[in-house]
Amino acid sequence: MFASSLAVVLLTLAALLGAIVAFAWAWRKGHFHVDARAATLPFDDHDQRVARPWETPSQARERVQAHGPPLPPGPGEWGGA
Amino acid sequence: MTPPESPPAGTAERSALDFAGREPALLCFVTAVFWLLVGSIFGDLASLKFQFPDWLADSGALTFGRLRTAHLNAMIYGWSSLAMLGVSCWLIPRLVRQPLAWPRLAVGGAMIWNIGLLSGVPGLLAGATDGLEWLELDWRFSDPWLVLGGAMVGGALLRTVLGSKVEHLYVSVWYTAAAFVWFPILFVIGNLRVYTGVESAAVNWFYGHNALGFWLTAINLGAIYYLLPKVLGRPIHSYQLSLVGFWAFAFFYSLNGMHHLVGGPIPTWMITTSIVASGMMVIPVGAVAVNHHMTMVGRFGALRYSPTLRFVVLGAISYTAVSLQGIFTAFVEVNRVTHFTQWTIAHSHVGVYAFVTLTLFGSIYYILPRLVEREWPSASLIRWHFWLSLGGIAAYVLALIVGGVLQGMALLDPARPFEESVTVTLPWLAVRTVAGLVLTAGHLVFAWHIALMLSRHLRRERRLPPWHEAQPRLYEESG
Repeated sequence: MFASSLAVVLLTLAALLGAIVAFAWAWRKGHFHVDARAATLPFDDHDQRVARPWETPSQARERVQAHGPPLPPGPGEWGGA
Repeated sequence: MTPPESPPAGTAERSALDFAGREPALLCFVTAVFWLLVGSIFGDLASLKFQFPDWLADSGALTFGRLRTAHLNAMIYGWSSLAMLGVSCWLIPRLVRQPLAWPRLAVGGAMIWNIGLLSGVPGLLAGATDGLEWLELDWRFSDPWLVLGGAMVGGALLRTVLGSKVEHLYVSVWYTAAAFVWFPILFVIGNLRVYTGVESAAVNWFYGHNALGFWLTAINLGAIYYLLPKVLGRPIHSYQLSLVGFWAFAFFYSLNGMHHLVGGPIPTWMITTSIVASGMMVIPVGAVAVNHHMTMVGRFGALRYSPTLRFVVLGAISYTAVSLQGIFTAFVEVNRVTHFTQWTIAHSHVGVYAFVTLTLFGSIYYILPRLVEREWPSASLIRWHFWLSLGGIAAYVLALIVGGVLQGMALLDPARPFEESVTVTLPWLAVRTVAGLVLTAGHLVFAWHIALMLSRHLRRERRLPPWHEAQPRLYEESG
């Protein structure tokens, strides 16, 4: 039964074991105790403040209230000319 | 809105982080585009063989079997992998707030990776192949270069992650860093020449499917999780859900590969386990799809303004589509019809083109101006590229899905001669050839646009300020 599948069984178990070990390490290191700041890691001050032309007035107001006066976007701000 | 007197907080640091990874990222992008063009030409030639089977038939190097293999390897290990290395060299330093470690090692690694391809892809045309799907590159003259080059780039990236200056690893870092651990192990194991017979086929698809998932999918999901929130200026809808998606992906994906061998001579329990695991992929795929969609809700207007977002959102939608199609195809009743048909080619192109390649296009549109501190020369060329890509891949996939189902039904019908299962696909294969040529036209536009941009960079025309993303236009106006 296992003769033709032993390699794949072992490889799959190794892959699973690796994922479990990484999961345990991440748990111990506190990588799952995330707070609101974790989701904002890609941003800096500029990202948060720059005005988005597609946002509704209420969305723009929320941005100003949360991050301060708006900045105008530069050329290529959104990726592409 | 008033122009700032100095760059906003964080932009100078960001420019410094971009600068450290600039050389390897640029080298990877430029060579990736070279392989994109090479792979496109091979793909078009291979597709034309279905309409003109005798064309170029006198040259062994230009027969279908060799062209198709060269196309696949140029696209997977040339275009996709090199572009992903470039994206990673730019993305990781930004997310861990640490300049790329050992950038010269990464440059050397990218060069060595290209040496592997320059010896391997022509070798495929010359008939030097290992004979296993996705593992055709020669194990003596090509694979060692890829292993060494990949290890050098991966080493620089993983060293950068280990020096992280942030407390938390953002979900994109999880995906990207994990890919650089998973893929080398997979590639080495897949290339070991110790498997024979059925076991070789099983290991082959263990490798092939996991290379798609743990390499191509992982890095591109990482890029999407960065670019969507970055352009929109709002965090991902549920950060916790993104982590659930990553870990479910890590646990379930490795079991999936055997569904390529449904109906094959391997133990039934392996196939059944693989089908169940494929079904369980609904969890990570659903987590990613819901998260991406909910992040976009209320902001779809941004697609009008951001070429990057257009490509990346299409890539994200295609990820959901290809995953659901894969789960569906794993079920025996569906597989009975679709196996050995053009459906499989459609499926692989939804994955490697509609998901991976469109995401990489979007990433490069965002990253390249920040590397060379110059804007894209033409909005119109980007629009052309987008519509050629979208139109081409939509026609390609729809034609082969329909053609594949018709082919499968003809194959299953004992009353119909085998020849009919071939002739029924011909009109759909003609549509595929036209679609492939449209895609190649898009690639030429993309390559031309990059060449224009880099020529301005090399001629040292006026640069944008180092905090390019801040307010370059305002400085001009205020001056």
